[in-house]
Amino acid sequence: MEYLFILLVPIFGGLLYGVERVVKARMQNRIGPPILQPFYDMGKLFDKETFMVNNYHIIFAIMYLLTLWVAVGLMILGDNMLYVIFIHLLASIFFVLSGYSVNSTYSHIGSNRELLSIVAYEPILILIAVGFYIQNGTFSIAMIQQNSPQIFNMFLLFLAFILVVPIKLKKSPFDATEAHQEIVGGIEVEFSGMFYEIVYTAKWIEYIFIYLFLALFGGDSFLFQVILFLFVFMVVNIIDNSTARVKINHLVKITLFFGLSLSIINLVMLGV
Amino acid sequence: MFKKYRKKSPWILHYNAGSCNGCDIEILACLSPKYDLERFGVINTGNPKQSDIFLVTGPVTYRSRERLVELYNQMPNPKVVVAVGSCTCTGGVFRGMYNVEDGIDRYIPVDVYIPGCAASPELIMDGVVKGLEILETKQKVSDDK
Repeated sequence: MEYLFILLVPIFGGLLYGVERVVKARMQNRIGPPILQPFYDMGKLFDKETFMVNNYHIIFAIMYLLTLWVAVGLMILGDNMLYVIFIHLLASIFFVLSGYSVNSTYSHIGSNRELLSIVAYEPILILIAVGFYIQNGTFSIAMIQQNSPQIFNMFLLFLAFILVVPIKLKKSPFDATEAHQEIVGGIEVEFSGMFYEIVYTAKWIEYIFIYLFLALFGGDSFLFQVILFLFVFMVVNIIDNSTARVKINHLVKITLFFGLSLSIINLVMLGV
Repeated sequence: MFKKYRKKSPWILHYNAGSCNGCDIEILACLSPKYDLERFGVINTGNPKQSDIFLVTGPVTYRSRERLVELYNQMPNPKVVVAVGSCTCTGGVFRGMYNVEDGIDRYIPVDVYIPGCAASPELIMDGVVKGLEILETKQKVSDDK
């Protein structure tokens, strides 16, 4: 059952992405694309002519997709939380390397910004894991999911996590790493045809990763997890629709200042 | 096998070849809540390597013609070129001026011409949808290779 879910992760991610595009369109008083639009895009991208810049560019992109998939898979199987976070970091590093492997300025800027954003959000993810450890005495996701919801004790860490969500999902105000109008998508600028589909699918899997991570705050209560998901989904989309992009140095400052202070205060509270 | 999806997800590359911005504003109006081109699956990508429809505005000025051809060459097949506005089709009011080429079809093959100064959003949408029909008949590998 779990293995089936892991295999179908990209499909769930695509559906989530499609639903999100409709929700965003409705917020702007538009009709919006059909929910299956990401899969239509996929069909079209397979039909396009493909340009290959160099081998490493594509190999690193495939490694990014597979490593991310493994991270989500380990999460579904209930493995060690630190393990999942570091494998996810490895996936991001593969993506950055693929950006550096081509000779395009936009791609390099995208890679630099991706690295800076990793500096901004990675400490917060690790501190959240530490918070779960203090609460449960273990890093094991399977054990965390058997305990009661911990969000009331870890509320500040939860707020810090809400800061991380727009960075990972490339949403404004924290979408400087992708910045479609400014650096034409950053790292993804040189991908075309079915090679772009690799990056596109990885983006869907990123959605599943971040929302599964969120579900950990809900503990063993499925209802609570669903409520948390709906709440964060709507909040992130409302903020995405109503704010402008911040610069990358502001992104790092805001995330580290607010995120780290909130997390550390919460850890101190948990310790006492 | 995937041919039927071409029509459902056209991604647009918009290039201003010396236009007065009138047509550009109308293109943006197409993407706004009132007309909402996104309901056809359109995304304004801004990246030639990932787009299917090339929307060009403006008569081709001397400065912009190399970039126009470069962008056209960077787009993977199958692709459709849509000329938006009178200037782009024929040169319009700028026809015969010393710093302007008369229309983009001197440099790249055009599939759909949209008249009007500025072309109205309804016409642009009509032209894009017409371009989708042409997109379905195009070959994956072009003949001139």
